[in-house]
Amino acid sequence: MTDYIDVDVRPILRAGGEPFSVIMSALQGLEPGQGLRLYATFKPIPLFAVMEKKGFAHAEQALGGGEWEVLFTPGEPRPEEVAAAGSSFDNWPAPAVTLDNRDLDPPEPMIRILAEADKLGPGETLSAFLRREPVFLFPQLEKRGFRWLGGFTPEGATYELTVRAPS
Amino acid sequence: MIGASISRWTMTYFAAALAWLFVALFMMVVGVGYPTADIASPDTLVLVHVTCIGWLSLAMCGALFQFVPVLVAKPLFAEKWALPALALLSVGLLSLLGGFLSLDGRLPTAFWSLPLGAVLLVAGFGLVVVDLGLTAWLRPTGPARFVLVGLACLGVTVVFGSFFAFALSGWAGSFGDTVLASGIPLHAIAGLGGWLTLTAMGVSYRLLAMFMLAPDVDDRQSRVTLAMGAMAVTFAVAGGALAIGLAAGLPIVLSIAALLGLVCAGLYGRDVAGIFRNRKRRQLELNMRMATLSFASLAGAALLGVALVFFDGFTPHVGAFAFLAVFGWLSGLVLAKLYKIVAFLTWLETYGPVMGRAPTPRVQDLVAENRATKWFVVYYAAVWLGTVALLAGEPTAFRVAAAAMTVGVVGIVHEIVRIRRLCDVASPLRLPAGAVPPHLLFARN
Repeated sequence: MTDYIDVDVRPILRAGGEPFSVIMSALQGLEPGQGLRLYATFKPIPLFAVMEKKGFAHAEQALGGGEWEVLFTPGEPRPEEVAAAGSSFDNWPAPAVTLDNRDLDPPEPMIRILAEADKLGPGETLSAFLRREPVFLFPQLEKRGFRWLGGFTPEGATYELTVRAPS
Repeated sequence: MIGASISRWTMTYFAAALAWLFVALFMMVVGVGYPTADIASPDTLVLVHVTCIGWLSLAMCGALFQFVPVLVAKPLFAEKWALPALALLSVGLLSLLGGFLSLDGRLPTAFWSLPLGAVLLVAGFGLVVVDLGLTAWLRPTGPARFVLVGLACLGVTVVFGSFFAFALSGWAGSFGDTVLASGIPLHAIAGLGGWLTLTAMGVSYRLLAMFMLAPDVDDRQSRVTLAMGAMAVTFAVAGGALAIGLAAGLPIVLSIAALLGLVCAGLYGRDVAGIFRNRKRRQLELNMRMATLSFASLAGAALLGVALVFFDGFTPHVGAFAFLAVFGWLSGLVLAKLYKIVAFLTWLETYGPVMGRAPTPRVQDLVAENRATKWFVVYYAAVWLGTVALLAGEPTAFRVAAAAMTVGVVGIVHEIVRIRRLCDVASPLRLPAGAVPPHLLFARN
């Protein structure tokens, strides 16, 4: 039976904050075999991939009102990937650039993000607001070696994306 | 990985689909199949399956291999199944057509040809359904739910079709003969109404919102539309099968299904009108303007259906009704969306790798809408004329309309090839350093 540590990031999200560092520091505090129970105001789909790379399976459950409970359960550790993911996702600096691309015609938001991302220094981040999940942008970011995190804000009308340049 | 990359074989599916569309147009121009031949004749069977499997289903599968990953923001379950599926579907369709032609002795009698075609089509569509179904299942919201129901209907259509193929070869016993005698409307409803129409609706929700910069249709709202459509098809197929078993009541079952279908079409009209109303991009692109002619054709087909039933003329004029639904609504929508999808994917494939590093053209720089508009107008006008010719019982006028449709489609395809070849992009934007021109028939993803 897995023992879960509760992390509730709903207050942070409601206040418009960035919950990622809280989640990552809770993760570092886990004992071997311990899992994480996360409460969020949206389904944190981008986090699933991050946690998967760290060796955690996820099981999510809608709580109503747009809120979600997600159980991250540790599986077989994959040491080399955990180390790689850990070094690149922890301690993201505050964004060097903030873009509001909500009122741009597609594909202008994608072009602007890629243009600005190319100007970032090693390890720097940019943050962008968008109307929809930029599904066609992700493979381009991946090909260029960028990491990203993103999700819809609680009211569901804005997608917030953070992109980090390779360090 | 999260996100959607460019589907490698979507262009290949589109090319194969357009080739089959030309086969169907050629048949209509030279007068093979309905209305020159009887609607149940082997020639008509060939025409119907060239159109519905070769043209519409292949185009739809190609589009879904690209857009289901977009709907769920996840890669395809198995990208490498796409090409084998296309091969199975193509060979299966050829075998099926050979089987139809041998029914009236045009080809040497080959009893194995129909069942072989059915088995190959089951295998091909099976790969498609499993691949897309497992992908859509990951995030079954809004449009992805339409696709899931559409895929289920595709399964039902194929099962019915296989029964017919075995029954026509005399391999399905008396049960098969019973299904063959009265099950054809159910096969057609599941295929045209369930698979092609519901899937086209689902994909259009996202494409319209994406290309017009409109908020997505509220999930609860589109769910009701889908529920009506799914109930119409389920009622027609399950109720119809029961009615056939009891040898009674099929017309009543089909009338109720038709009513549900009408409600579904009406709700879809409301949803689409909402997307148009709430769009942020005021200027409509060509593909949107032409899509409205498809929606008009869908509304026209619904009205025609009601009028024909009211004046007791549905059975003799079912061909005209199906023609308007297939060529006005479905084919028109697919052609209009192909025009945009090819431009968008070509743009993304060519300029994605250099975007932000070098000046790149806009998607709209790849197309020449003024030139393309006339071909679409010719196509739709010809479809509507063809519908009138069928209603009036004028096969020659219908062949003239089919010739005009062919002219329109040749023009549209020519424009699409020019888009793929970047013919209308002015230098030096056309190929900035690092950009590679795309291949005509597949994507280098």
